[in-house]
Amino acid sequence: MAEKKSKPSKQHPAAKPDAARAPVESSTTKQGAKMKPAVIIVGADKGGVGKTTISRALLDYLAANNVLARAFDTETPRGTLHRFHPDETSIVDLTSTSDQMKILDTLATSQVKVSVIDVRAGGLGPALVALEDTGFLDAAKAGEFTFILFHVLGSSISSLDEIAEIAPYVGDARYFLVKNHVNDTTFFEWDPLTHRKYFEKVVTAGEITIPKLNEMSYEKVEIAGTPFTTFIANKTASGDDADHSFVLRGYVRTWMNRIAEEFDRVGLLELISAKGGKTR
Amino acid sequence: MRPRTLVFIACSPQPRAGVSTTARLLTDYFLSRGQAVGGFDADPRDPRYFGWFPDMVSVVDAADIKGQIALFDRLLENDGVPKVVDVWSRSYDQFFATIREIGFIEEARRNGVEPIVLFHASSAQRTLSKALDLRAQWRDLWMFAVHNEGAAPLGAYAREILPRYPVRGKFVIAPLEGPVARALDDPDLSLSRFLLAPPADMSIVVRAALKAWITPVFTQFQSFELRLALESSSVLR
Repeated sequence: MAEKKSKPSKQHPAAKPDAARAPVESSTTKQGAKMKPAVIIVGADKGGVGKTTISRALLDYLAANNVLARAFDTETPRGTLHRFHPDETSIVDLTSTSDQMKILDTLATSQVKVSVIDVRAGGLGPALVALEDTGFLDAAKAGEFTFILFHVLGSSISSLDEIAEIAPYVGDARYFLVKNHVNDTTFFEWDPLTHRKYFEKVVTAGEITIPKLNEMSYEKVEIAGTPFTTFIANKTASGDDADHSFVLRGYVRTWMNRIAEEFDRVGLLELISAKGGKTR
Repeated sequence: MRPRTLVFIACSPQPRAGVSTTARLLTDYFLSRGQAVGGFDADPRDPRYFGWFPDMVSVVDAADIKGQIALFDRLLENDGVPKVVDVWSRSYDQFFATIREIGFIEEARRNGVEPIVLFHASSAQRTLSKALDLRAQWRDLWMFAVHNEGAAPLGAYAREILPRYPVRGKFVIAPLEGPVARALDDPDLSLSRFLLAPPADMSIVVRAALKAWITPVFTQFQSFELRLALESSSVLR
């Protein structure tokens, strides 16, 4: 499978308490070429595989790299992603025409060039069908948008079967298989036959491995209801000083650093900042 | 400049290297000077250090996250109270892996806390390798070698082995004769109170030997404190 070459790792900027922030990224490069809007879809066939966790980590990563992003949470009406990132997240129904317009019609006109769509569990297939019907996939093929898909895998065979099911829709996408080690799943790496059957016959932009975060740290962030970076910085959602355990903050910081290294390794920032033109 | 709160981490990757004895001596040293101490015994199975100071030492399981929170969050408090940690040899690797994972050394320094590793030397190559690993991970970590001549004697090779340790200095703890060592094992024997008023029923021979054993150790600790004060002194800059 096609994979990006390794990039040098770096510490997650948010992990450094006094990190100086680079200037806010402009949507227009020095040469005047406009940055293409980028759509990152995070989806999974099952619940409980950590899809929304990855969306949250992704939003933190983009913020730490000064990339403005907006998010759409399709877990209507509850909106788990919205709970942690209320300022940049809208709760939408991807089957609704008006919500489709809210997302897709503003891709080119919005000042915020990166859109993260957190697709509800089991909704990845229908979401891609909806995007095809609206012409989004054709527009991505024509190079109007950068289309990135994070397909979060579970540990079941049915999850792996979904890889083949969505393959027809992701030909023009940067398609990443995301292995989220929420438990001790091995994604069948111990069984070469099964592993080959599912992972080595699909063309992807690469694999992303999300390490496991211990349950106590994860639950503490859940209770805090803040982005991971806010928890690491020992702040509340309103910006006041919090009283979170340093040990738990340290674990979350190291976990976020490792995720940032993975995103850096696959060149996510470079993909997002692609200039106008075809994706392939 | 406000003095830093010291956190002493007594450790060895080898068992029976005298780590608990060092923790005890250091705690009694501070108590003999009227200073409060916070102690942590990271050996949940056989907490000897806790046995000597049940009122001021907490037993923590550093392999468990709750234990880590109870330990490291407390160690980060810059309250001027020195802390002593007795690291169980079996959890040595996990202990320092946790320190690395959570960024304890860096956070401690930001909080005005100075971690000081009291690394117990032995003749085993593995022990030296572990010390070198620690130094490679944290180049400016305050590390001192402890040579307990009774628990982990280096014998004639001491002059050859000890200089290989990447440390700022060393402490030497002399061996004890059998009867004196047995007296030391008494959990009710407070070394800090012993120096002021030895137990009336204690053999005068044992009493003298114990005093002769403790005094040089406390003198080394005092020299260490003076050295630290001198290095921190703005007058000498």
